[in-house]
Amino acid sequence: MITITDAARKQLAEVLAAQEGSGHSLRLAIAGRGPQGFEYELTLLRADEKSTEDMEVESGALSVLVDAASADNLRGATLDYVQQAGGYGFKIDNPNPVWRDPIALKVQRVIDTEINPGVATHGGHVALLDVREGKAYIRLGGGCQGCGMVSVTLKQGIEKAITSAVPEIAEVLDTTDHGAGQNPFYQPAKSGQSPFD
Amino acid sequence: MQRLLLLMTTTTYKAEAYLDAAQRLGVSTTVGTDRPQALAALDPQGNLDLPFDFPEVAVHRLCDFAARHPIDAVLAADDEGVVLAAHLARALGLAHNTVSAVETARNKLEMRRALQSAGLPIPRFACFPADADPGSLTSEIEFPCVVKPLTGSGSRGVIRADAPASFVAVFERVRAILAHSGRDAGILVEEYLPGVELALEGLLQDGRLRTLALFDKPDPLEGPFFEETIYVTPSRLSPELQAAIADSVQRAVVALGLRTGPLHAEVRVNDRGIFLLEAAPRSIGGLCSRALRFGRGGSSLEELLLLHALGRDTGGLEREAAASGVMMIPIPRAGILREAGGTEAARAVPSIEEVRITAARGQWLVPPPEGTRYLGFIFARAPTPDAVESALRQSHGRLRIDIDPDVTPPEASPRPVSTLERSAR
Repeated sequence: MITITDAARKQLAEVLAAQEGSGHSLRLAIAGRGPQGFEYELTLLRADEKSTEDMEVESGALSVLVDAASADNLRGATLDYVQQAGGYGFKIDNPNPVWRDPIALKVQRVIDTEINPGVATHGGHVALLDVREGKAYIRLGGGCQGCGMVSVTLKQGIEKAITSAVPEIAEVLDTTDHGAGQNPFYQPAKSGQSPFD
Repeated sequence: MQRLLLLMTTTTYKAEAYLDAAQRLGVSTTVGTDRPQALAALDPQGNLDLPFDFPEVAVHRLCDFAARHPIDAVLAADDEGVVLAAHLARALGLAHNTVSAVETARNKLEMRRALQSAGLPIPRFACFPADADPGSLTSEIEFPCVVKPLTGSGSRGVIRADAPASFVAVFERVRAILAHSGRDAGILVEEYLPGVELALEGLLQDGRLRTLALFDKPDPLEGPFFEETIYVTPSRLSPELQAAIADSVQRAVVALGLRTGPLHAEVRVNDRGIFLLEAAPRSIGGLCSRALRFGRGGSSLEELLLLHALGRDTGGLEREAAASGVMMIPIPRAGILREAGGTEAARAVPSIEEVRITAARGQWLVPPPEGTRYLGFIFARAPTPDAVESALRQSHGRLRIDIDPDVTPPEASPRPVSTLERSAR
């Protein structure tokens, strides 16, 4: 399933040993997709928090779980621990393509070639998080996050570009936390719910 | 499919509400904004860059656009767009208020004069140049008075002065606000009116007022600043007094020459009568319209306004039976918003439907009279107005607003620049 390097194993053992009580596990999941590819979620779970649906890839003193829904996209990945001049932390090398779904691939292409060059002129960027049941879930960042006109950008730009180029998509939902944006304009959040909430 | 031209500034709070309403109604929308949109090229029919301060240029640009994409109605989402909307509608031959009526309603001095000519009760008033020496004016003024800019909304620049000494400082403060906003029009000084204040949300059809909601403003607005907080509808005033308020607003509408579309009016009521403070050809500000629902399906105010603008029937859309209200969360002090905590607890108060913090963490916040932006909104719905007001207060009491005042204010943001202004440089 995944490979854990010696450096990661050593660091993880220290992290788990530092937890109060015993039986803790590291849980690895794909939280979404951003401009740099997959976005990962690493969490420490107590024994009573473990789900039977997760896949256990290491057991015993070093317990590592993989979110079942993320398993296909983590197959062959390597969990490493790196120390560099810029900092240190766990790092995941993942050979899997960010999108396997042909519809998601088409949406990503529209974002890369039509949408992001445009919003970049206003200091923004758009990331595709997921495509499910005819809905594309996106997140806006940079100047778009918190912008007063993001609904216009979404409805009169992003949604029209995506739905006209990818007819399989009926709706585009913004999952951005606009309250955390640095843009000076106010922006209400789109009513769509994040699939990752 | 009908096409609506929706004018909005890039700082609007209403984009989401109007675009959602248009989508639900199956209306094609062209958004006319004061600055070009990032993805306008992806939807040339859906976006139009219009210089709000140059109506002749905007008319030329719109007529060229409308020849390719016919427009069925023009609507301004915000106060800043109402005059341009009248110009554009006239150019296209669409039903709308006249430019002169809208200009009169938007200018507080012109509005006062029009209402005075019609014999309507208004506060005594006088207008002075912004560069006047306030010390030389005090002998002409009765105190207490209210000093305000000729245009604007949201209580920006509105300050009470109780005596000559404070009047000088107040006048200079309003002058500074005008200078900061790039407006150099005169300054209105008018009699302070004690009493309760209400807001009427209405819809005009052929000059007839249809009251959509009458809001009580239960927090006393006595100055020195007039920060709006709680709106609750239906009003708890007697039915007779409510009818008299509607009648007073109707007479003001006639005096101003307004004929169609949204109307937002503010009145003060005391033992001398009903005084109209404002009758603006626009809808309620900020996100406050979310407190209103109409018809069985709970249509939004924006849906109702779009239907009206497009000439469709709105007769069956009456406001719901429940009481509802909104609190514009006060900004306790100027500074950087570090955290707006307690929102979950605030939402948990019975009858509270939504708590929306609209300011972003790290944003520089300024309370009135200088500020123009909102910290956020709380919405409540309950069987009675008293229950709504109580829930709003309780919910607000659970918020923890952390504003750091010990920081240097940012440089004044430059005024939005239209493409026309840029090309002229």
